[in-house]
Parts: sequence; C-alpha cells; structure tokens
Amino acid sequence: MTNGLARASVRFRPASFAGSFVALLFASAIVTASGTLLQTGLTAHLAPVRYASTPVLVAADQSVQISVEHGKDASTTSMPLPETARVDAALAQRIAAEPGVAGAAADFTFPLLLSPTAARTDGSSAQPPLTGRPFSAAAETLPAGTAALTAGSAPGPGEVALDSDAAQAAHLTVGDRITLTAPGTPESAGVTGAASYRISGLVADQGAPGEAANAWFADDVAGRLSGHPGLADTIAVQPRSGVGTAELARQVRQAVGPGPQVLTGDARATVEQPQLGEARQMLTSLGGSFGGIATMTAVFVVMGTVALAAGQRGREFALLRAIGATPRQIRRTIATEAMLLAPTAGALGVLPGLALARWWLGQLVSRGAVPSGVSLSVGPLPMLAAVGAGLLAALGAGYLAARRPAKLRPSQALDEAAVERARPGVVRTVLGAVALAGGVVLATVAARQAGDAAANTALGVVMCFLLAVALLGPLLARLATTVLGLPLRSGCAGAAGSLAADNTRANARRLASAITPIVMVTAFCGTLLFLQSTISHVSAQQVRSGIVADQVLGSAGPGLPAGVAGRAAQVPGVDAAVGVLRSSAVYRSGDTLASVSVLGVSGDPAQLPRVLDLGVRSGSLDALGGTGGAAAVRTVALDVQLAESLGVKVGDPVPLWLGDGTQVRPTVVATYQRGLGLGQVLLSRAALADHVAASFDSQVLVSDAPGADRGAVAAALGRLGVPALTVTDAEGFGVQADHEQSISNWANTVMAAVLGGFAAVASANTLMMTVLDRRREVGLLRLAGTTRRQVRGMLRWEALLVATTGLLLGGAIAWTTLVPVTRGITGSSPYIPTAVALPLAVAVVVLALGSTALPGRALLRARPVEAAAGKQ
Amino acid sequence: MGRRAEHPRSEQWPQQAEPPAVELRAVRRLHGRGDSAVQALRGIDLALPRGSFTAVMGPSGSGKSTFLQCAAGLDRPSSGEVLLGGEEITRLSENRLTELRRSRIGFVFQSFNLLPSLTVQQNVLLPQRLAGQRQDRRLAKELLARVGLGEHGARRPGQLSGGQQQRVAIARALVTQPEVVFADEPTGALDTRTAQEVLGLLRQAVDSMGATIVMVTHDPVAASHADRVLFLADGALAGTLERPDPQSVADRMIRLTSAAAAAGHGGAGGAGAVAA
Repeated sequence: MTNGLARASVRFRPASFAGSFVALLFASAIVTASGTLLQTGLTAHLAPVRYASTPVLVAADQSVQISVEHGKDASTTSMPLPETARVDAALAQRIAAEPGVAGAAADFTFPLLLSPTAARTDGSSAQPPLTGRPFSAAAETLPAGTAALTAGSAPGPGEVALDSDAAQAAHLTVGDRITLTAPGTPESAGVTGAASYRISGLVADQGAPGEAANAWFADDVAGRLSGHPGLADTIAVQPRSGVGTAELARQVRQAVGPGPQVLTGDARATVEQPQLGEARQMLTSLGGSFGGIATMTAVFVVMGTVALAAGQRGREFALLRAIGATPRQIRRTIATEAMLLAPTAGALGVLPGLALARWWLGQLVSRGAVPSGVSLSVGPLPMLAAVGAGLLAALGAGYLAARRPAKLRPSQALDEAAVERARPGVVRTVLGAVALAGGVVLATVAARQAGDAAANTALGVVMCFLLAVALLGPLLARLATTVLGLPLRSGCAGAAGSLAADNTRANARRLASAITPIVMVTAFCGTLLFLQSTISHVSAQQVRSGIVADQVLGSAGPGLPAGVAGRAAQVPGVDAAVGVLRSSAVYRSGDTLASVSVLGVSGDPAQLPRVLDLGVRSGSLDALGGTGGAAAVRTVALDVQLAESLGVKVGDPVPLWLGDGTQVRPTVVATYQRGLGLGQVLLSRAALADHVAASFDSQVLVSDAPGADRGAVAAALGRLGVPALTVTDAEGFGVQADHEQSISNWANTVMAAVLGGFAAVASANTLMMTVLDRRREVGLLRLAGTTRRQVRGMLRWEALLVATTGLLLGGAIAWTTLVPVTRGITGSSPYIPTAVALPLAVAVVVLALGSTALPGRALLRARPVEAAAGKQ
Repeated sequence: MGRRAEHPRSEQWPQQAEPPAVELRAVRRLHGRGDSAVQALRGIDLALPRGSFTAVMGPSGSGKSTFLQCAAGLDRPSSGEVLLGGEEITRLSENRLTELRRSRIGFVFQSFNLLPSLTVQQNVLLPQRLAGQRQDRRLAKELLARVGLGEHGARRPGQLSGGQQQRVAIARALVTQPEVVFADEPTGALDTRTAQEVLGLLRQAVDSMGATIVMVTHDPVAASHADRVLFLADGALAGTLERPDPQSVADRMIRLTSAAAAAGHGGAGGAGAVAA
C-alpha cells in the first residue's frame, strides 16, 4: 500500500523530488569515482617491458615493513621505499650454478652526463637521457636467440657500447670517443669525475620506447661507476631450453635463500618501475580517504533534501494521519519515496563517476605521480557500492525525515504544518551539544600534539564540528540570523531588509537545511586549501631565509657529480661551496610509517651556515659528519617539528630507515627550524651517498668571499666544465619545488573542488526549494502592498544572511581545526591567502543570491490573488 | 430544500439499551502550559444518540474545533473521557486510535481533504487501503454516484472545484460505513447552492444510511439542516436548540456573541459581532 502511495506522489509532483534525485546522483558519481580509484590502486599492475624476455628476476624487497599490535593480533604495515633497495651482485654466480639456469647476470642502472662533443653541432646544453648498465646484462635480457651486439665488440676497460638507435641519432659510430660522467668515480676520472670512453660496439635495442638510451660498460667498470660496487638492482635469470618458469623460480629460490624476492610474471614490473609501489599507495589512500569523506558529505546532503521535501508536505501527512494512516505507514511511505529515486539516480551517476576517475588518473599520470602504463580498473564493485550507498542513504534519510510527521497527533500535525516548531527535539539538541563538546576537546588535544598526531586529529575535529552543525542546525541558524539580522532590522536596508530579518529568524529550521551544506563546503575546502597554502607559504619563507648562498649551481640533467663542490670551492672569490644531495627516509610514527625529506651536505659542517641558515635551535651542526659506509651514519640533525613528533632531543638516538631500506640509529646532534622548506633530516653527504639510487648532487651552494665580484665568480663557475651546469642565484633553489608536495597540493585542490561543487549544488537546490514553497506567502505580501522590487530585495537579503551565516560558521570550524594542525606541522598559525579566500566567499554569495533570485522571479510572475489563495 | 426529511427515526430518541454514538464526560482541554495556558474546553458533558445530525455552533474562540478534534480522537483531552459507541477512546494507544479512524470514524475538513497525487476514486478508497482491506470499488462508485460525481472517478482533485472536492470528501468519509462522521465547517468555503447540495447529502446519509453526523459550523442556515444545535461559548456548553430554524439559530448566536463581547473583551461593540 505504501508503495502505491509513494509511487503516486513521485509521479504526481516529480519536481519536489528533483533535489533529492540530484543529490543521490552526485553521491553516486563521487562514490563510483573514488571506488574506482581505490580499486585501481589495489589492482594496479604493469607488464614488464625491459625484462619482458626474462622470466625470473631476483630483487630486494622494496618496502619497509613493521608489525603493529592490536591487542592479541598483529598486522603488518608497509611503505614503499623512496630509493632502490639492492641485492648482492655475487648472487648471480650462485644462481648460475643451478642446473636449470642458462645464464644469470646482475643488472643495475645509473644516470650519465654526456659532455658535448665536436660531433654535436647544436651546441645546446640539453642532455639526452643516458643510462649506464653492465654489459653482461644485455645478453640476459634480450629475447632468446637475439645477439647482443650488432656491431663491434664487447666493451673492456675504458670502453663503452651504445644502443644502436641512440648512436645513430647522435651520429656516433664504433671507434668514436665520448666523455661521460657517472655518480661513482672510475680510475681514470678527471677532477670532475668525467672520463673519456671509446665506443667499442653497438647493442641491439631492448625495445622500450620512451626509456633512456643505454650505455653498456664492462661489468666491473659499471660497478664502480654506479657508486655501489658489488650491489645490483636485480639479477636477471635465463632458463635452459625446456625449463619452465615455475621450475626455474624454484631453483633460483633454492640458490638465493630466504632473503631476496624471486619475481615472475607481472611482479617483475616493480623492478622497472619502482614508483609503482608508491603510486598504488597513493591511489588507494586517495580513493579511500576521498571516498570516505565524500560518502559522508553525500549522506548528510541527501538527508537534508529528503527531510526538506517531506517537511514541505506536512499537510498531506497530517491528512493521512487523520484518515487513518499509522505512524509506521507514514514512515514507510516517505522511505519508499526516497528509495524509488535511489536506483535510477545511482545508475545515472555511474557514468559521470567513471569519467571523473578517468580524468583524475590521467592527470596523475601526466604529473608523473603514476607510471603511464597503469590503466583504470573498471569493475562492477564500485558501481554496486555507489548504488547501494545511495539506497542506504535514501532509506535512512527517509526514516529520519518521517520521524516527526509520523509521531504527531493529527491535530498537532495540522497546526504545525503552518508554523514551524520553535525548539528542536531534546535528543537532537543533546547529541549536538555532545558533538560540539567533543570537537572542542579534540581541538585542545590536537593543539598540544605535534606533527603527524596533530594532523590526524584534525580530521576528527572537523567531523565533530560538522556533526554538531548538522544536529544543532536550526538553533545555530536562529542564533546567527538573529545576530546578523540586527542591522537589517534597524531599518537601514528598508522594509525589504527588516522583512528578511524577521523571516529568516522565524523560519530558521527551513533555512538550516540550506546553511548546513554551505558550512560543510566552507569547512572542508577551507581546511584542505588553507592547510596546503600555509605549508607552501611557510616552506617558501623558510627557503628564502634559509638560503644565504650567493650562487646556486644546478643541473639541467640528472644532477651534478660529487667533485663539483670541491672544484667550486677552489674558484677564486669563493668562500665556501657545499654540495646538496636529496633523498628521503622513512620513520615510524605510532602505528604508521611516514616519509621525510633528507638533505645530505658535503664538506665541513662547520662551514654550512655560510650557505645554508637552517635556524639551529639546539645542539650544534659541528658534530655532524663521517666517512662513507653504513656504519658511518652515526649523527643526524632533525627538524624541530620532526623531533617533537618522534619525542627525541639532542643526544638521543633516533631510529630511521634510509632510502634503500637500511636501518640506522644515529644520534641527534642538533635541531633546526627550517626543515619544512629545506629538508627535515640532515646527514653528511658522505654517509648518505651509499644509500641513494644515484649520488648526483641536486645543487651546489656557493657563497662568495666578502668583497668578491659576484658576476666574475658566476662566470668562473660556469667555466667549470661540467655538462648541463646552470648557475643561478638564491632564487634558483626554490624553483625546484618539492615534487610530492605539488602533487598533494593538486590532489587537495581537486578534492576541494569536487566536494565544494557537490555541497554547492545541494545548497542551491535547497534554497530553490524553500523559495518555491513560499508562493502563498509572496502572494500575501504583494496583496498587503509590497512591491515586486521590495519582495526581490527581501529575498536577496535572506540569501545574503544565509550565505554569511554559512561562511562564518564554516570559517570558524576551519580556523579551529587549522590552528592546532598548522602549529603541529609548521610551527606557525594558518596563512590564508586572500587570493583564494576571497573568490571562495564571493562564489558562495553569488550562488546563494542566484538560487533565490531565479525562483523568486518565477514566483513574482504569478498573480497575487491566485498565489495567496494557495492554488498549488 | 430537503432540510429535514420527515423520518420517524430522526424523531425518536434512541433506546436506552443502545449506547450513544458519541459521549463526552467532563472533558477539559488546555493549550500551552503554566500561566499562559488557555482553556479551550472547560468540562464538557454530553451524549449524542445514534442516527442523529448535530450541529455545533459558537463564536470564534469558543472551542468548536477543539471539541470536534477531541470527540473524534484526533486530539487527547487534558482530562475527562470520550466514548464512541460506548467504548472509551481517551486511553487508547495511537495505533488503536488510528484503526478507529479507518473504520468507525469519518472526518471531513473545511479544506485540503484529498491527496492531490491520487485520483478521486483512489481518494475515496484510501481508508480501506490504509487498513489493508480489499478495496471495494463498487461501493466507491456507488458513493460517488450518490454524491453526484459518478463520472469523475478518474479525475485528480486539482481538476475539481471546491464543492466537488468536498463531495468527494464526504464520499470518502462514508466509504467505511462509519458509526460517526465528524465534519469541521464542511460548507465554509462553498457558495450557497453547492453548500445546499452538500448539506443535503449529509442529511441523506443520516436518513437513509443511519449515519451519525456531528458538524461544526458558523452558518445558521447550515445548522438548520441538523436535528439539533449545540452552542459552545468559552469552552463550555451554552445551550441547545431542537429542530432549529435559521432565524432562531441566528438570534441565539447574536445573544451569545454579544454576551461574550460584553463579558470578556470590554470595548468591542456587541452588535457588530454577529459573524462567528
């Protein structure tokens, strides 16, 4: 029976359900998009290209794993390593001894700088990407039966073989000489690490378009040049004819023992694309966190629209109650109406959701956050989840909205249908007060925490406050409109203004459903966008005040070789030159792992303040230093916020994983302030160099002697003879923006835009519905003598009140959340750029004005007498 | 005009064995709380026999609508008892009251009687539908024919005039063959001719179907269709009139209204307060 009633209502007046329909559609689109991204993250895989013909690879585990205890269970959390973890190259001999193995070779890559030769007539400093590899890997990675060399012979000491395509493109052939610079130092290297090699042969192409060209060296030469002699990225294994992949893998496992990983199938792609692991993690967390927030927002919004639509039909439900509908029947009717919409809305939202996910993934790929081979994983699960979530939300919303009309006695219901109740229910008020208190408590707790803990609590704070706003909506709306309406009521805005003030106060409940989405979008977008802007601002400030160097040497290619800093220090007029090697490290924060930026500085740490002012707070940098080798990572300096997060001070040991997975426990010798912009962990370059993939400096910072001519020094530095060298001043340092930070900024902006758009649509829809419902009221006003212009003015003032209330409440929530979080992350208060805040506020106001003006115009077209008579 | 058909049944008093259709015992109703409470009903005692047509009249603020709502079980009195067909309804749960509303009570409002999204016939059958009973379409058609809207079964309320809507409402009120039909100003929004038709229908329901009707009205002509008129003033019974005619009803009303004006609202002219 309720089905029939529900169907009849929806069919009869579809426009009043339009709002709930649109809300459900958007919700479905957002859930589909985030679910698809999540699924893509979980199932992303690539097919190996470089190692397509190599059935089995041996590599080290490329993630850090920790075991987390939850009571009696223990689960493992892992995080992909920022740099490459390596295996012992000697394993290749052990593997080759197995019966099923035809050949096994250690393979590794390192970047090369090509010095311009006479053959290169363009004279540009552009570097063709060139990768060095050991020659014996060439044979093991080509398809069976293909000869490695197409011309010439295998390279020996002082020789190199190039990919035939690359050689052709550079007009090089067997017998030519080229000068190459590698991260490690060969025996015959010049002072800047460059050495001349004779091209001994040409190698068949590996068939990987878009990858850098390979330069093949003799194995031991390659080992030294890579900077990690004796270690390899992977061991490529070829089987004898007739040996299957599974059998081969078993034999290899036997040979290498339990430590390293034996990879077959698609798992081999993780060796070629080490950032696959990070990309998967990012997609998963993006899909998960965004999906979670978006679903909650969607549920809030759907509840609001359904409740509003039901509230507007109060008289109908009162009549039904009087004729003999039980409360249960009323509840089921409203719930069924909502549920009738859900499947269609859900189904329609799936396609836009997929389009959004596709666009998002494409953007992430083009920004380099996700390897380009990863494609969107489209499956039925996210879509089913979206439709299911819509159904549940509609059902829940329907039942909640029906609580009041169903419970009342018919006479009450008939009275109330005309005037809204002044006080909201007791339960609702109590719950709202609890949520508010909870938010305040969490905010104070977050204020006392530092770093990550503060950031994690931030989400809880926002949620509590938003819940409080949703529950206490009518009360807050009434309060706000009373206060904000004071100037209007005093008459300075004329009759329209005072009418607006009175109207909003009397109908606060109905307006609360328009205010709540505005509060939500302002709070969310405000928190996301301004957290990001604060971090960027503080970083930029720190970079500006931290770099006191006069010149910054950079590279247009993969980086600067290790000897450049020493050479630069000897240029006349230079006081100090420090090479900066960038990497990342992983630390444990409670139950999770997090990564931090690491800075390795060369030379005497006592000279560091001449080029880099880190704002040392405690301890001294003089104690930082050491020679190469893992044992030498004995000292470290930390950013103040990081030290507080980890709970260490000067003199304590701090456990860290370096970029290649090595666990170290250096002692903290100093803490400094400007870590956010410059680097949160400071090590000596010599200690760090063994643990990065390629130890090219990213910059060299040079400070001039007092009285030296800047221009002359810069010119002299430019003549150092390093390929792809760029010489800039301090500004050049900041330009190399943190890649990761820019991606997370962009992701935040997209999330804010999507959530904001959704809430904006919800708010606009609610405002329109409330205005259209006032046909009778507008008619009465006009009969009483209000001109069209005054009515329009009244509607405009009401819209302004709604927008202002929403902005103020949402802004207050965002501010209360941001202050402890920014203090924990950056140590300062939030930075709100007007260029972002103002357009946001203006957009909200324009939205509110537009959503009331358009239906208002429609209302004013009707003849007052008809409208006042209530002919619907 | 068909004001009051000469029917033996309406002349008789009911047998003592048959309980009255509607009975109120010391019913009080307070609105609001504390000092600002308003006494809408101040202790009403009355019994209405089966098969009677009673009109309830009084100046505005006399508690007519509250009386009707309490008698019909739409509202709960603050104290006292209401009995329908000898059964006490004041202590019933909301669910039981709802069941009563479906089967033993019919209600006609002044306006907004029909669900706009259903057709006329569906509106008439709504009480049966809500009760989960089989919908008696034949009966609905018959009732619609009786109220003069036999061909309008498939129309929507929006397509009918006010009078037609009221007639549909009466048909719906009668479809469950209730013991009592309560009507709150059923002709208030109608023109004279339509009002006469509607009142005639109500009279017919009493005479030929044996229904009991309690009608609140402010119109003396409408009241004259009833068997007797009850007058309410300030929440208490202020007299009855058997076999009313419009003139005597109007005279009583003027007396009541000016008394109220002189007593409570000093200053307002008594003679001008005729319309309740």
